Amino acid sequence: MDYTWLFQLAWIIPILPLISFLIVGFLGAKFSDKGGMIAIALVGAAMALSLAIAYAALTGGLPSHGAEGAYYTDTIDWVVLGSGFTLSIGIFIDTLTALMLIVVSFVATLVVIYSIGYMGEEGDRRRRYFTEISLFVGVMLGLVLASSFSLLFIFWELVGLCSYLLIGFWFERPSAASAAKKAFLVTRVGDVMFMIGLFILFNLFGTLNYVEMFDPEVLTEVDQSLLTWGCFFMFGGAIGKSAQFPLHDWLPDAMEGPTTVSALIHAATMVKAGVYLVARMFPLLVHSYEWLPLFIAVIGVVTALMAATMALNSPNIKRVLAYSTISQLGFMFLGLGTGAYLFAVGIYEEGSLGYSAAMFHLMNHAFFKALLFLSAGAVIHFVHTEEMSKMGGLRKYMPITSIVMLLGAISIAGIPPLSGFWSKDELLAVVQSAGSDNWVFYLLYAMGVCAAFMTAFYMFRMWFKTFTGPEGEATKHAAAHMAHDDHGHKEMEHAKPGKIKEHTPAVMTVPLMLLAVLAVFSGMAALFFFGTPFYGIIFFEEPIVETGAEILENVFTAWTTYLSIAVAAGGIGLAYLAFYKKSIDVDAFVNRPAVKPLYNMLLARYGFTKGYDWVGVKAVYGFSLVLDWFDLHVIDGIVNGLARGTAKAGRGLRRVQTGFVQTYAGVVVGGAVLMMLLGYFILVLLGVVRPW
Amino acid sequence: MSVEFTTGIPLSWFLLVSATLFTIGVIGILVKRNAIVILMSIELMLNAANINFVAFSAYYDLPMGQVFAMFSIGLAAAEAAVGLAILLNLNRLKDTVHVDDLNIMRW
Amino acid sequence: MFENIPILSILLVLPFIGALIAFMLNSNPKMSKIVALVFSGIPLALASLMMFDMVQQGYDFSTFSYNESYIWIEQLGISFTLGVDGISAPMVWLTTLSVFLAILFSWDVEKRTASYMALMLILEVGVLGVFMALDYFMFYVFWEIVLIPMFFLIAIWGGPRRDYASIKFFIYTHVASLFMLLGIFALYFEAAGDLGYYTFDMAAIATVSGDFAIMFQTLVFGLLFFGFIVKMPMVPFHTWLPDAHVEAPTAGSVLLAGLLLKMGSYGIIRIAMPTLPGAWDIDAGALTNSWFPGMTNWQIIMVILGVLSMLYGAVMCIAQKDIKKMVAYSSISHMGGVLLAFATFTEIGLAAGVFMMFAHGLITAVLFMMAGVIQHKTGTRMIPRLGGLAAKMPKASVFIMIGFMASLGLPGLVGFIAEFGIFTATYNAFGWLLLVPIISVALTAAYYIWAMQRVLFGPVTKDIDLEHLHDVSWYETAPLAAFVGFIVLFGLWPALILDFIVPAVGKILVGVF
Repeated sequence: MDYTWLFQLAWIIPILPLISFLIVGFLGAKFSDKGGMIAIALVGAAMALSLAIAYAALTGGLPSHGAEGAYYTDTIDWVVLGSGFTLSIGIFIDTLTALMLIVVSFVATLVVIYSIGYMGEEGDRRRRYFTEISLFVGVMLGLVLASSFSLLFIFWELVGLCSYLLIGFWFERPSAASAAKKAFLVTRVGDVMFMIGLFILFNLFGTLNYVEMFDPEVLTEVDQSLLTWGCFFMFGGAIGKSAQFPLHDWLPDAMEGPTTVSALIHAATMVKAGVYLVARMFPLLVHSYEWLPLFIAVIGVVTALMAATMALNSPNIKRVLAYSTISQLGFMFLGLGTGAYLFAVGIYEEGSLGYSAAMFHLMNHAFFKALLFLSAGAVIHFVHTEEMSKMGGLRKYMPITSIVMLLGAISIAGIPPLSGFWSKDELLAVVQSAGSDNWVFYLLYAMGVCAAFMTAFYMFRMWFKTFTGPEGEATKHAAAHMAHDDHGHKEMEHAKPGKIKEHTPAVMTVPLMLLAVLAVFSGMAALFFFGTPFYGIIFFEEPIVETGAEILENVFTAWTTYLSIAVAAGGIGLAYLAFYKKSIDVDAFVNRPAVKPLYNMLLARYGFTKGYDWVGVKAVYGFSLVLDWFDLHVIDGIVNGLARGTAKAGRGLRRVQTGFVQTYAGVVVGGAVLMMLLGYFILVLLGVVRPW
Repeated sequence: MSVEFTTGIPLSWFLLVSATLFTIGVIGILVKRNAIVILMSIELMLNAANINFVAFSAYYDLPMGQVFAMFSIGLAAAEAAVGLAILLNLNRLKDTVHVDDLNIMRW
Repeated sequence: MFENIPILSILLVLPFIGALIAFMLNSNPKMSKIVALVFSGIPLALASLMMFDMVQQGYDFSTFSYNESYIWIEQLGISFTLGVDGISAPMVWLTTLSVFLAILFSWDVEKRTASYMALMLILEVGVLGVFMALDYFMFYVFWEIVLIPMFFLIAIWGGPRRDYASIKFFIYTHVASLFMLLGIFALYFEAAGDLGYYTFDMAAIATVSGDFAIMFQTLVFGLLFFGFIVKMPMVPFHTWLPDAHVEAPTAGSVLLAGLLLKMGSYGIIRIAMPTLPGAWDIDAGALTNSWFPGMTNWQIIMVILGVLSMLYGAVMCIAQKDIKKMVAYSSISHMGGVLLAFATFTEIGLAAGVFMMFAHGLITAVLFMMAGVIQHKTGTRMIPRLGGLAAKMPKASVFIMIGFMASLGLPGLVGFIAEFGIFTATYNAFGWLLLVPIISVALTAAYYIWAMQRVLFGPVTKDIDLEHLHDVSWYETAPLAAFVGFIVLFGLWPALILDFIVPAVGKILVGVF
């Protein structure tokens, strides 16, 4: 079936939320709900169109271009700055775009709906919230639809702006303002690298359009060294945006924003932009030197492991999820890097699998992490704190939330058949298989498995501490408050013990349940329910068409699978023993002299926070103060010194003016005589007059 | 161009007299303390110039020089009138015509 | 539309007439404001029409249109020659726009209103003259005319240290322009030898100047260049700018940064580069440097000054406590980018540099206006004393944010394309050297974002008088909204201006005036 007409409409997708941005931004105050419904309507419309286009793209509706694969693209020239500099704007749709469209539009719609409930108490500020979130959805959809790296960069910066604005949503709080600044500046460092990469590639290819750059003939001709460095710097942008080591430290602070924002921007979509970028430049990566994919994989696994350790003891429920996000993003980079490495050394099938697994994980992660964040949001909405030590025992008051969050936790931990299992296991299996080519990957695999173990542990630590155990002070307070409310509004029926109902409004629980369904089934659905499994659709270059049965067989005959399940179960079990059964005394363990410094180091985020502050406050600001002194005293000192010197000379010389007319007359006469003598002398020299 | 003086006195003699007078005037301006004497010295210098005018006028047989001399004399009279008036006022205000006591045109 | 109308002369004369009328309305301040608004509004309308007309008539933007030439002093070869091409037309339009909006923004000036308005209009005459003149003598005259109203604007309506600032401004730029005058005379006399007659006509001199001795060209380029970079201003000749900005009235700052700085860079691209290719163009025989083969001496100096100014200005911004001073240093940083772009001597670089001039004119206007608004409403411009304005002045905060974001090169706003083009050209021309100036991108973000955090966010400080804190007034909102509108318009659709600039810069590189 010919879907070209549908693809031609794709440019409308980002426009719809942007219309919402304009309407809510300028007229939002006029609506009773401050524009929430408009945002839902237009974001929902964008989702409908996105899903339609994604469906068309994933079911083979894309026009084929032979060896270059199937894609649809349409561009117009935007900026021409002389020959060799043409930036074009347009849309590019392939299966990767389709995947991102599904993820972004779907999660965004659910989050906007959820926000109606979550942000309900914000009053007039909701207008600003819905304005900014509409802008975000629009530019994020634009980012995934962009037809060139330059347009991608434009949207990349704009999502960064939205992230900045939304982290600082409660800008009166100094911590929020500071976190927003940190997020913007740290990602900006990455963006600078992204720009350098763009300039290198622009110069190398003469264009930044995907289609022209990915031409296999062009790719084999260009300078491989410059290509590698260009990709290296582009990856720097991905490091900043996706909060990878060493630019990861902004993401935990970004939790200062509303939880909906954390769910949408800092878990499901924007931070994925870095992964998307690396996936997008995969054709370039596979033509780079091999060290670059390996470098990406190493950065990924280091981040995955490091962030997982920091999540182990974080007292803040949102921070745990933030570290978890960083860690999972690290897994995705690990998969992409490994895939590109395998491609670069000529192992195409496994390499393609690495790419697909990373993208698969991206999709699954978007669903279960959004679920986890929104569940945490429901909890925070109820207890008005983010400290897990003050929670506990919440299962009684929030049965729905506790169950959906448990599903999310199982999914991320990697227990079959929930979605997280399929992608993470496949990803690690690819890394393990790459070890046969380069032993480094065995090491990476081991680190990845460690990170997976910790993932299971910290997720269940969070769940147990939040929903089980004795009720914390915030829980008690909230429960009392709820009981009071119910007394006030309704009859006595809810006051009966044991019959307490979920307090979260339906506008929040329904999106949660929808996400829970996806967190459970998205993996299986993508693999088994459609005619072609996920790996056959989201491919790079050669599609690997396996049937569902083949996949099952492959997965459950490999020892890596059982190791994955074992470490996940082990992590859950350890958390169960430590935080539910309490048969392990956690407090005694962390207070041991050998463990305590380690524990504190994790709380201090390995000193990165201090390191960033040192760079910002001491190094840059200190240097600027020195330069300010130099400017004021040396440069201006010279200038003012010249002026003073002139004035001083004037003061000295004016003594010549005695005020006696006769002095003046004498000077005049003397001068005249001198002039005459001089003239005479010159005339003599010239030989006009002979001296006598 | 050799125009003879009817008197037979060479031109350089006139110029010598004129230069002498001029120098006396300059010295008078520079060294005298009394403003009236300075005014008189200025008159001397003007007259030195007049002598030059007349001498050259006669020498080249051009009437222009004599016309200028007449102008100059008229000017000198006017200048003396103004100058004396200033001195009178000065005398009235400062009770002196000695230029040593007048140095308000200082820095 | 303008075939038989001397549109450029009208553009020059109208503000001048307005200035005369405004001067005479000393007793009626209200009327003088209206007169100023009308006599700056009509030129804006005419300039806009002229831009449309240039496109509609399909004029070649690489040559001069609407040429006018009247003999002024025949014996000395001075004529009154005007013309606009793709480089100057956008600058002319920017001038008329900025002056019009600056006058509107000054609606609350109470001190000697009539003189103020008249001086603004005189300033417009001077700046327009610089951008339109095609005769060195006229160029110099207008260049000097600009100084006078700006001097008085600072000296009469300025802040506490206005005497110091105004005299510093005057001496700095005047001394620099003397060097320029020297260069102009050198060209004048040297060209007369080849042409056989004395003329100040830029085009006529340019026809022969390319063949002058290389050493002569190099030295004269230096004289002109010095005159121009002090005006831009480049480090280390920059210290007049922060002082002038801090003391100048808001509208004066807007015009100072928005227009006067552009005169310097305009001079480089309009006069120094096409007239003296022997100073920078290897193909024309310019002297190359033995350390950096492939680069000419002046190119190296331009790169060093440009990069130095970019980084120096950006680092200085971080240390500043006064918003206006911060914006002033950011101007130095951005103008450094313009010089770096010119130093690439590529089509992309020149186009990006000129576009940066245009973009910076729009952006910096918003920034200075907002600094003025903050000063006006809260009584201070000191960043440490401010805080939490976003809660009290939401509209103003949006304007500040857009201004800052545009200045730090956010895509979708006008600064981005200019910046992107500059760095692209830098990489294309100098390769890895790009890594040095691009640091300024991160630094720029740092000082704006940090300033925003301290001024707009956080709790409201006690230093601000909450009782009297109002949001922006109508006469402030209107110009700000107009500028922001253009920032967004040209950010989304830069081709509107680039279509003028790009055809025009190509000729500079081949030494054609």
